[in-house]
Amino acid sequence: MIELKLNGLNVKAEEGWTLLETARFYGLEIPTLCYNEGLSVFGGCRLCLVEIGEGPKARLVSSCTYPAEEGLVVRTDTKRVIEARRMMIELMVSIAPNSKKIQDLASKFNVTQVRFKVRNEECVLCGLCVRMCAEQMDGRAIGFQNRGYKKKISTPFDLRSEECRQCGGCIYICPVCQLRCQGPEADTTLCNACLTMDPTCLDHYDELQCWMYDAGRCGTCVREK
Amino acid sequence: MSATGKITSIQQLKNVIREQTALRKAEKRPVLTVSAGTCGLARGSQKVIDSLMRLIKKEKLEKRVKVKGTGCHGFCEAEPNIIIQPGDIFYQKVGPEKAGDILHKTVLKKKVLDELLYFDPNTGEKARGELDIPFYKKQKRIVLGDNALIDPTDINDYFSIGGYGALLKTLSGLTPEAVIDTVKRSGLRGRGGAGFLTGMKWELARKAKGDLKFIICNADEGDPGAYMDRSLLEGNPHLVLEGMMIGAFAIGAQKGFMYVRDEYPLAVKHVTQAIEQARHLGLLGENILGTGFNFDIQIAKGAGAFVCGEETALIASIEGRVGEPRQRPPFPVQKGLWAKPTNINNVETWGNVPLIIKKSGDWFAKIGTENSKGTKIFSLVGKINNTGLVEVPMGMTLREIIFDIGGGIPGGKEFKAVQTGGPSGGCLPKQRLDLPIDYQSLSQAGAIMGSGGMIIMDENTCMVDIAKYFLNFLRNESCGKCLSCREGTQRMWEIVKNISDGKGKEEDLKILEELALAVKDASMCGLGQTAANPVLSTLRYFRKEYEDHIKRKKCPAMVCKELVSSPCQYACPIGQEASTYIAYIAQGKHKEAFDVIMKDNPLPSVCSRVCNHPCEKVCRAGESGLPISIRALKRFVMDWAEKNGIQYVPPRVSQNREKIAIIGAGPAGLTAAYYLALKGFRPTIFEALPVAGGMLAMGIPNHRLPKDVLAREIEVIKQAGVEIRTGLTLGKDILIEGLFKSDYKAVFCASGAGKSLKMDIPGEDAEGVLHSLEYLRDVNLSRPTKIGKRVVVVGGGNAAIDAARAALRDKACEKVTIFYRRTKAEMPALAEEVDASIDEGIDIQFLMAPVKVITKKVKAAAIECVRMKLGEKDASGRRRPVPIKGSNFIHKLDTLILAISERPDTSYIGEGDEIKRHGENIIIDDETGSTTRLGVFAGGDAVTGPNSVVDAIAAGKIAAETIEKYVSGQIVTRDYRLVRPLIYVKPAELSEEEAAKAKRPVIPALAMARRRKNFEEVEGTLSEIAACREARRCLRCDLETEDGKSAIGAKK
Repeated sequence: MIELKLNGLNVKAEEGWTLLETARFYGLEIPTLCYNEGLSVFGGCRLCLVEIGEGPKARLVSSCTYPAEEGLVVRTDTKRVIEARRMMIELMVSIAPNSKKIQDLASKFNVTQVRFKVRNEECVLCGLCVRMCAEQMDGRAIGFQNRGYKKKISTPFDLRSEECRQCGGCIYICPVCQLRCQGPEADTTLCNACLTMDPTCLDHYDELQCWMYDAGRCGTCVREK
Repeated sequence: MSATGKITSIQQLKNVIREQTALRKAEKRPVLTVSAGTCGLARGSQKVIDSLMRLIKKEKLEKRVKVKGTGCHGFCEAEPNIIIQPGDIFYQKVGPEKAGDILHKTVLKKKVLDELLYFDPNTGEKARGELDIPFYKKQKRIVLGDNALIDPTDINDYFSIGGYGALLKTLSGLTPEAVIDTVKRSGLRGRGGAGFLTGMKWELARKAKGDLKFIICNADEGDPGAYMDRSLLEGNPHLVLEGMMIGAFAIGAQKGFMYVRDEYPLAVKHVTQAIEQARHLGLLGENILGTGFNFDIQIAKGAGAFVCGEETALIASIEGRVGEPRQRPPFPVQKGLWAKPTNINNVETWGNVPLIIKKSGDWFAKIGTENSKGTKIFSLVGKINNTGLVEVPMGMTLREIIFDIGGGIPGGKEFKAVQTGGPSGGCLPKQRLDLPIDYQSLSQAGAIMGSGGMIIMDENTCMVDIAKYFLNFLRNESCGKCLSCREGTQRMWEIVKNISDGKGKEEDLKILEELALAVKDASMCGLGQTAANPVLSTLRYFRKEYEDHIKRKKCPAMVCKELVSSPCQYACPIGQEASTYIAYIAQGKHKEAFDVIMKDNPLPSVCSRVCNHPCEKVCRAGESGLPISIRALKRFVMDWAEKNGIQYVPPRVSQNREKIAIIGAGPAGLTAAYYLALKGFRPTIFEALPVAGGMLAMGIPNHRLPKDVLAREIEVIKQAGVEIRTGLTLGKDILIEGLFKSDYKAVFCASGAGKSLKMDIPGEDAEGVLHSLEYLRDVNLSRPTKIGKRVVVVGGGNAAIDAARAALRDKACEKVTIFYRRTKAEMPALAEEVDASIDEGIDIQFLMAPVKVITKKVKAAAIECVRMKLGEKDASGRRRPVPIKGSNFIHKLDTLILAISERPDTSYIGEGDEIKRHGENIIIDDETGSTTRLGVFAGGDAVTGPNSVVDAIAAGKIAAETIEKYVSGQIVTRDYRLVRPLIYVKPAELSEEEAAKAKRPVIPALAMARRRKNFEEVEGTLSEIAACREARRCLRCDLETEDGKSAIGAKK
């Protein structure tokens, strides 16, 4: 067993546990987005940040990727953690403001304004779909392309993938396109968007990866038109 | 004899090294080493080598000279360069045509070619050898120095300087622990940037559990402007390989990788050759030198991703995966390449290892500072005289590197900042020049050592633009995995770009700082954690520049295109749309041009004659030729309108707003009154002198500005609804208090600088000594003046030149001499005025200062002067003149006119007025022009001291704007707008022939014979053809902005 200090408590972690697993074992809540128990860890969304170490050497790390180490001092709720996390949420909302999951995070962490130009994209590059496809569906139909601000998720060469079996796993696990919040409309008090469980067609992917394409379309896109 | 077969024992290697060293010593021929690294080749060193070889072959000189192509010698500015040994001669910037001279004269006749030696611009001396050149003098080239000695493609040449001696020593009985201990004692730290202790790293790798271990040489050099690793690999690949072999032995690694970017073809070639040679001789492979040590090196080529310099991303890349960093721990030393213990060091770090082993750790530890040992190679690039690679001991100050070694900033420009450590580093300002460089000091100052890039920036660099450049680099080079880094760099770039485009908002800086800190904190790898440094360091040291961009919509270095638009309009204090009226002139639409001019300037005919035209100083056409004659073009339009009877009629405005009092009818007062009248106020100007115009009427003689031109423009101003009351002196006839009592709601003090400054020399009050302003006033009012035959004017400003030229026109005068204490370059007077006065026969004596006036009875008879020389720069940036002792002389004269300087006379302001002054100058708030008393504003020379006409007009315009706000009860602030023309005129299309022929026109001037004894205007006006031709030469910078491009349809 590894002994470490978590928010002032002396705790024990099993060999191989991450800090996130340790914290969750002890009932401490740490928000995540790109993390899923059934998939390998990624460490891209930077929501699960915790502060490790003390004094001038203290720094933030993503708890989902950082292993529990002997004698490590970990704090999950310092000002520094919260501020960085809030900035991450603000950045996410600015990319994909329609995601219910991201909006929920925003309201939970009291992110009330977005100071960046909203982009209305349908992807925050959390990579869940990529890992879902490869690790759970054994598909490897999609992956990351490019780097930096040009990074995106697509099929090789942006062509319809032979590997894709239209299983829908990618859409199932997507935090943005699943449960898209359309936002309250001006003339209706209840927009009901949260209750609509239908996946909304993504203009971005066109027909390329619509999981209902071969099955004869879900109809969402037709209805929206 | 050279080593060809396999070297199978330690003794054999010892022999080879001994033989090769002896061969080198035995070399009797002079050796010419030509720098042929990438930088040398780019400057044509291959051609030099070829022509040398050709000639040697032709003249059968093979036995008398040897030519060797080597790696970079470091002094890239002097490429291609040749070092000739023996004799230690350093030839720079050698062209292939010099081959003959070098061989025949220098090699055969031992004659040094003067024209090829380095010329030190500071001392004016030629330097013969490498060590005579300041660039090399302060360096300590322990790693890079061998580059100049060896042919990098020949392992025997490396043997001949004792190469592989450190390997020999290591394998001759040192234990791995002893090697690690030596490296630890040396205090060597990683040269890739982070500065981790190499010995400690090796020890961890040695202790790591695993049967298979790897070492990697990180040659993924990616910082813009940094190329020391490339040069080392190109110029001395065996040094790096030897370091790796020693490291592998110490760590117990069996395999090494050289991760080098494919954009370094020459480095790849030389390293590949070196590996092959070493393998061929048995220095790599199984059972090296029969010691049982197995090690081989393989090259892994990178595709040039910046992030692959991060060790975990580099490992991923070698493994064939996407180059993305991963979480550490586990560290590569625990789980690296293919999950095996791996030790990664930078090229330069490996390059230091053989030296340490050969000479001892203690020797190395003596170099450098307490925490940073050894030397560091920096690539000195940017705005620096001596571009190149410099190797200096740690702890040298930035000043020594930049000014002593680097030779300072080209073109006499001012140093502004140095950027160290590439995109992850920071910009350090002038105040940090004395910082001794080591790992700690740099990171404390907000930069990093990084791999050693050092980009020098001069005054023409905009720091916002620099931050934008690096952020753009980073948003492209971030791997994109962490949201914080991918989105953070993108958003920071967006914000900085907005600021640079003039769209910045005041809250932007707060967001930028918050975001920068979050990116720093939340990102996983080194790239993300340092990605905010370009922003944070520029904000820390150059915050004012950001604020200027955001608040004042100004880019002080005139770099940000969207803010500057056309430099002429940008630099004009009143924002005259020069590019627009020039464009109209080009099309022959002179009336439109006239309207554009009148829109922003109530005194355009005056300006077209006497303006100091800041527009022409910044004109982009002037960068590669002569600037557009903007003032002459304005003059053409004004004269064309006059000739065609076009008069400007100010718009009719019903004058029903408050009364405003204006003190002084100079350009500032007239302008303020004019614009206030156009806003519906009732302005009254109080002028002490009998005529309006201020210095325009009293200071500038008719030959430069005819009185009727001025009178016409004042007439237009009066028409707009301005009342001018002359002959009323403030403080005597009127009091500020009294003005408020008479229902004036605001007062604008624009009383000018009408007092001549005294010189404080004996005899100054003698008869025949005049002061320029008083003299010019008498001339302008046609009062009698007492000018003798020989006139001397002292001073170098416009008043001095005006007085001299006016005196020359006096009937009694025969000769005019001007004494000025500095040189022509420092003269504040307009250059064209100075030239014109010389043309008219005025004798200007530079570097002369009067000491005393020699009087005969009460009358001045001569002046005693002392010669001066230029010393250090003073506060104004001009070199201060210092007297040369004993150089005094006496110059006879009849009249002496003193034109030293002028100052305001604001004695009308009383204690009770509560208006603060600095001496006689009124103190105002720079933004709004408000004085310390509510309702009283000031501007023009009364505030600044003697200054240009256009600045006074600008002060008047600002006053009109703020006075309106004040009187109507709004908050008194200044509105800053982006510089943009109101209308975009289609550009003229020039044929190539026309463009090639276009040149600045000569302005017509009055014949010399007609200039004496009268005050006829000297400068003429351009003909319509000449004006159109000149206007067509304009580069139309205004069309370079996004607005401009879309206006003329150049952009969709």
